[in-house]
Amino acid sequence: MKNYDIIQHVTGKSQFIDDINVPNGTLFAKVFYSKNAHAKITSMDLSEAESIKGVVRILTYKDIPGVNQVGGIVLDEPLLAEDEVHFIGMPVALVIAESMLIAREASDKIKIEYKSLHVITDPREAFSKGLLSIPPRIFESGNTYEAWKKCEFYETGTCESGGQEHLYLETHGAISIPMEGGKVKIISSTQSPTAVQRVTSGILGIPKNMIEVEVLRLGGGFGGKEDQASHWAALSALAAYILNRPVKLVLSRHDDMVMTGKRNPFSSDFKIGLNREGKILAYEVTFYQNSGAAADLSPAILDRALFHCTNSYYVPNVKATGYCCKTNLTPNTAFRGFGGPQGKFVMESAIYKAAEKMDMDPFEIQRINLLKENDEFHYGQKALHVMAEKTWDQCDKEFNIDTVKKKTEEFNSENNLYKKGFAVIPICFGIAFTNTRMNQANALVNIYTDGSVGFSTAAVEMGQGVNAKIREVISRVFSISHDRIRSEPTNTTRSANTSPTAASSGADLNCNAVYLACNKILERLLQSAAEDLGEKNSGNIILKDEKFYLNGEETDLNWNNVIETAYSKRISLCDYAHYSTPELCFDNKINKGNPFRYHVYGTAIIEVTVDCLRGIYKIDSVKAVHDFGSSLNPVIDLGQAEGALIQGLGWMTIEEVIHDKKGRLLTDLLSTYKVPDVHFAPKNIVIKFLNDPNPVGIFNSKAIGEPPLMYGIGVYFALLNAVREFNPDADLEFNAPFTPEKVLLKLYEKKNMTEPKPVAVNHSESI
Amino acid sequence: MKTKISFLLNDTLIETGLNPATVLLDFIRSNDFTSAKEGCKEGDCGACTVICGKLNNGKIIYRTINSCLVPVMNINGAHIVTTEGLNNVSGILTPVQKLFLKEGASQCGFCTPGFIVSLTGFFLSDNFNDDILDSIDGNICRCTGHNSIIRAAEYFLSELKDIPEDFDCRIKYLIEKNIIPEFFLSAKEKLIYKQKNIEPKNNKNVSPKYFISGGTDLFVQRPDEMLSSDVSFLSKENSQELIYEKDGSCFIDSTSTVTDIFESKLIQKLFPIISEFTKLFGSTPIRNSATIGGNINNASPIGDMTAFFMALDADMILSDGNESREVSLKDFYTGYKKTVRMPDEFVKSVKFKIPDGHYYFNFEKVSKRTYMDIASVNTALFLQMNEDVITKINISAGGVFETPKFLSMTSDFLTGKKINTDVILEVLEITDSEISPISDARGSEKYKRLLLKRLIWTHFIKLFPELINIKETV
Repeated sequence: MKNYDIIQHVTGKSQFIDDINVPNGTLFAKVFYSKNAHAKITSMDLSEAESIKGVVRILTYKDIPGVNQVGGIVLDEPLLAEDEVHFIGMPVALVIAESMLIAREASDKIKIEYKSLHVITDPREAFSKGLLSIPPRIFESGNTYEAWKKCEFYETGTCESGGQEHLYLETHGAISIPMEGGKVKIISSTQSPTAVQRVTSGILGIPKNMIEVEVLRLGGGFGGKEDQASHWAALSALAAYILNRPVKLVLSRHDDMVMTGKRNPFSSDFKIGLNREGKILAYEVTFYQNSGAAADLSPAILDRALFHCTNSYYVPNVKATGYCCKTNLTPNTAFRGFGGPQGKFVMESAIYKAAEKMDMDPFEIQRINLLKENDEFHYGQKALHVMAEKTWDQCDKEFNIDTVKKKTEEFNSENNLYKKGFAVIPICFGIAFTNTRMNQANALVNIYTDGSVGFSTAAVEMGQGVNAKIREVISRVFSISHDRIRSEPTNTTRSANTSPTAASSGADLNCNAVYLACNKILERLLQSAAEDLGEKNSGNIILKDEKFYLNGEETDLNWNNVIETAYSKRISLCDYAHYSTPELCFDNKINKGNPFRYHVYGTAIIEVTVDCLRGIYKIDSVKAVHDFGSSLNPVIDLGQAEGALIQGLGWMTIEEVIHDKKGRLLTDLLSTYKVPDVHFAPKNIVIKFLNDPNPVGIFNSKAIGEPPLMYGIGVYFALLNAVREFNPDADLEFNAPFTPEKVLLKLYEKKNMTEPKPVAVNHSESI
Repeated sequence: MKTKISFLLNDTLIETGLNPATVLLDFIRSNDFTSAKEGCKEGDCGACTVICGKLNNGKIIYRTINSCLVPVMNINGAHIVTTEGLNNVSGILTPVQKLFLKEGASQCGFCTPGFIVSLTGFFLSDNFNDDILDSIDGNICRCTGHNSIIRAAEYFLSELKDIPEDFDCRIKYLIEKNIIPEFFLSAKEKLIYKQKNIEPKNNKNVSPKYFISGGTDLFVQRPDEMLSSDVSFLSKENSQELIYEKDGSCFIDSTSTVTDIFESKLIQKLFPIISEFTKLFGSTPIRNSATIGGNINNASPIGDMTAFFMALDADMILSDGNESREVSLKDFYTGYKKTVRMPDEFVKSVKFKIPDGHYYFNFEKVSKRTYMDIASVNTALFLQMNEDVITKINISAGGVFETPKFLSMTSDFLTGKKINTDVILEVLEITDSEISPISDARGSEKYKRLLLKRLIWTHFIKLFPELINIKETV
């Protein structure tokens, strides 16, 4: 199957924001941002910067004609700082110049003075001071208070998970072009053209129909461009609107890393109770979410952590509490998984700790608690078409957990310089925006008189292959070749009031809308063909491989001549459809309902080797059975699964976002923030497709974007197991990412040190 | 400074009077060669990778480089190839491109042209017998399709049988296979013609603010300043022997790249172990640009080459263009990012005495990500023995002091000692007292102290496994 996008990519022809030829007279903008994490601005002097030749204008909040506000869920974030700054990287002014070089030079010449205020980077400190973005969220089922009495074992603990930089290789950017009559066209690298339109409309104080937002594709998004692309689009639009000239604003990597939010770090407390067999009877968890200086999407992310706090397990008594804590870091935001990974990591830590106490293997506890058909989640939804045990058992059958355990033990008994560890990790992830009203999409399908097809939807292509999947749907409905079908850029004038391409639901929502639009056209085409064939019942006509059949017999009618004739008969060849996901409801007062259309399941085994001399490690293999449904495109889905998995592994291991006490990001470049590279990626990744059709998915498919990221959580426990093989005295600690630094310190942690037993070195071990 | 720069961009001769400190990426992108992307502008993502061919003794040596860090002056007279250049004019995809399509090895696509260039460049380089995956060790795919890229790369390799060793034959073979376009056949001729017409470089800049060698550090740290400052380029236009033996010493011209050094037959002969850790230095495109002069002179406390040569007790030869002087590398650094080099001096070469008799050498480096990362701590060890007594030992360490550190107290203590667990345990107390690491993004002080000690253990366990028991080292 040809993939149009990939052909553009491999030939270097695909265009990203910075590749677009800008109109003559385009100006370049650079954001001047706060270097202080919490302060009052006492003075700002732009004069020297403004005097530089080539500087056209420097804009501040005073120049905003509309409302200085970009907040989505909570209106708590100005586009440009007014008299206070709340994080390092908060935009304060926008320098517009004839070239980017001049804009950078001028930005350095802006003089600003601050009166520093107390800086908070720790969510628990924010909580203790009552600094919450929204009221506490509590999800509850059963009665944990009563359940503790029945537990034969219980265990408590704390768990930390770190931030994660999106590092989409294309940084944020936008080009804004003033149009006739005060209209502004924005070409943006956003996952949410509608959010860009909404924010810009508010900033400029003009109606949404005066703002057109277009997106061709993104060089990666991963959630980072869901809500946070709006700032840069709105800033460039503000400049274009005021100066009446096109303005391009593309962030440098450093500015992008300093100014934009990351995955929310979570600090959590847990209590888990089990019976003697290892059945989990009760679970209590409290999440202290580090939202950063503004709410952004954090409240929705926190909800998803609460939804997924029990991972793939049935727990009858649950109490999950979430605090969205306001700190002086960049407002954190959506990142693939959207709180799900943070919630699950705590549950897995609780199980690991309980297993230790009960002298069981964690995978024994995991297995017996897996969700079964009709089990009820703590948010009231019944688990249907559950694949938790099926993927686990299939994974065990294919890759044999006991054999892995035996081989690991054998290796460890023979080696002293290197130790191996493994872990099993099941996943369960709900599909739909948990904010029910966002589960809608629309699509426009145009057939042109030459038989070629164009489509335009709310979906933004960012490498997840959504356009290829939509082409597949069109190709199946019309039974025509992919070569005839082309995607149009996502544009707010063709697809209005859209939801962001996020929550793994881009393909589900937009494929469904396209499916409806295509069927409306198909019905007319079959009707027209029936007329031409003198057949009364169009139900006797089918279209297959671009040919029309009447009662199974091939006719002279084909795609091209039916299209032409239909046009002559003045039958519409175009249609628009709207899709809304059925059967969703959620009452966020009691936190019960059916927030998800379905769930995605899977199980993975992760094996690692730790170099006990140097504290470095290698992920040897990841073997998984994943619930893909009936894949619309197995090549794309496998790429999504492997990609998400490796991002999850990165989050748990080497990707470390570090801030100092003053709120300054220390890992603000690629030289200090390390993501997986070709050698980090485990060579042995095997992901088996569980080809179980999804009864409620488009062509029985399932969403893929986010769920496999959570397999990455397993690597933490695999590493912990390996480290404890070398140093059994190492304290149990759940503090991700498990960097080489933490590994080395754990390997040589001295606690209750007994005399080391002399062990002979195996000289055949090469180092 | 006005200099006319000319080079071959794909099949087109370019002549430009542009500021010679403009980085190649900015130049080609502003001329609509947008396949090369700006992902980080610090040589850490590979989205801007291009192939760079340079004439050397009548032959073109092709290597991949990060175009975001290379000033155009450094590619004067070179052949630069981008993805646009690799595309077949007839529109048929090259085999690498086809395999990316088949394996779905491109998701968002931003990194893809860089990968295509790196993999194609692999077959043009002299290292085409190495692991093909090393050719993409400087490319990041954040999506992260590394495994599909690996499948594409390995499948590609398996399809190519009997790749000719001989360069000219290899070019023809690659053209036949549609891996590279035909213009590669005439590139050499064009470059030779250009070379004859190249203007002699104006290096008479009396006291430049910066001497630019490979540019891989200066253009990360201060790219805008390079455009407006007085600079002098050290890169060599005419090929000459960069690494050679003379009077019992090994001389390394300061403009030798890391690749030049590691591929030098002389260096490989002196340090057979070197192949074990060459890949730990930067990435392929960085090794192809970064020079030893730059790495040592930028005085980074964690320079890998610095640690390596400090253990060899190397000397720096500094020159102001007329006079030269020698300074021991151990005495070169005076403080954080400070050296004894005078403003008008540049590093001309590095030399070290080729040791007599048997010697041991090892280099260790640990970073957060094993490859393409800057060390948390690095260390090198040079050691000679008489019977079982250490007669000479030099241990260097990076990341544990404000400058690259020669562990003089540690080395002194060990001289004259026999190697055993007790001696090492004892000396590590001394080591701990002569370092003062700071906590930063590459690790806490506590970690760096522990790590250096573990790496010193590693030196000895690796070189003398029969003498040390790991369990006793705890």
